[in-house]
Amino acid sequence: MKKFTLLLVGAATLAGEVVLATSTSRHVTAQETDPIFVKRIPPGYRDWKVVSVAHEAGELNDIRAVLGNDLAIKAYREGKLPFPEGAIVGRIAWSFVPSEENNKTFGRDQSFVAGSPTNAYLQFMVKDSKKYAATGGWGYSSFDKDGKPTDEAAMKKCFPCHQAIKDRDFVFTRYAP
Amino acid sequence: MKRIMLLIIAISALAGVVVLTVRASRHPNQDTPTYVTEMPAGYREWTLISVAHEEGNLNSFASVLGNDIAVKAYREGTLPFPDGAIIAALHYKFVPSVENNKAFGRDQSFVAGAPTNNQVMIKDSKKYAATGGWGFGHFNNDGKKVDDAFMKTCFPCHQKIKERDLVFTRYAP
Repeated sequence: MKKFTLLLVGAATLAGEVVLATSTSRHVTAQETDPIFVKRIPPGYRDWKVVSVAHEAGELNDIRAVLGNDLAIKAYREGKLPFPEGAIVGRIAWSFVPSEENNKTFGRDQSFVAGSPTNAYLQFMVKDSKKYAATGGWGYSSFDKDGKPTDEAAMKKCFPCHQAIKDRDFVFTRYAP
Repeated sequence: MKRIMLLIIAISALAGVVVLTVRASRHPNQDTPTYVTEMPAGYREWTLISVAHEEGNLNSFASVLGNDIAVKAYREGTLPFPDGAIIAALHYKFVPSVENNKAFGRDQSFVAGAPTNNQVMIKDSKKYAATGGWGFGHFNNDGKKVDDAFMKTCFPCHQKIKERDLVFTRYAP
């Protein structure tokens, strides 16, 4: 009986090791495989709360708003890092255009507003540390003004750049009070 | 007894006329504008209308938000805005982002810096009849309301866009 128990324990331990080994190799495989990009615009994003606003000069020449779903906003406000599973940070970009009507009212050229949606209109980062393990736990997506996803070659540039701010869980935008 | 009753009715009617007259004279074209005394609760949870940047002395970023009534009116193109609509402009300093520029490898990125002030427009066509049906409010980053001399400058400027119910900001898709 004692021998049999030992055999069982031995078999169980071995099985456990096999499982562990398998999951380890799976994990490694996941990190080595091609990154998965998100191809779907999260529904209701336009009603999300504001994280902050920004302007990119130069070639982009846009004005943008960064929004977050409830999970993302909660994490931002509580200063929680890394962001929890399910958090989504979105950004909308419009062309950066002078406002003639505002300038006329102000009596001087000073006002810039959101124009039409840009070619990189919508971008999202979706947190799912298992699914997107290959790209730091975030799934990246980008869509033009017609909702068409950006091609994968361009999408491969997201993660390397976001790695520059690994200490803030790859998220550039800071919360504006 | 009948006479007393008639007298009471007559007095009541007269009193009613007086009250109505006083109310009527108070209402339309109020001479003294009323300003908003505090930021409406929960404004930071509201939906984005658009973003803007003012150069020069202001050197600011604005995030313009609306409560549900205002956002619904914007999306449906309803003008004038219904009573209860509130629009808030949250202003921040317009600052370069050193960390973004480093990641981009060039100086191009500007972000919202420290908050400077919050402005608000509250639609109540009766209460704010003297200022086009909108109550204006301006609060510096310490939360304090600015003085009435400053507040008097809001309405004359907003009147320039009367055809859009005094609201400058357009909805960004």
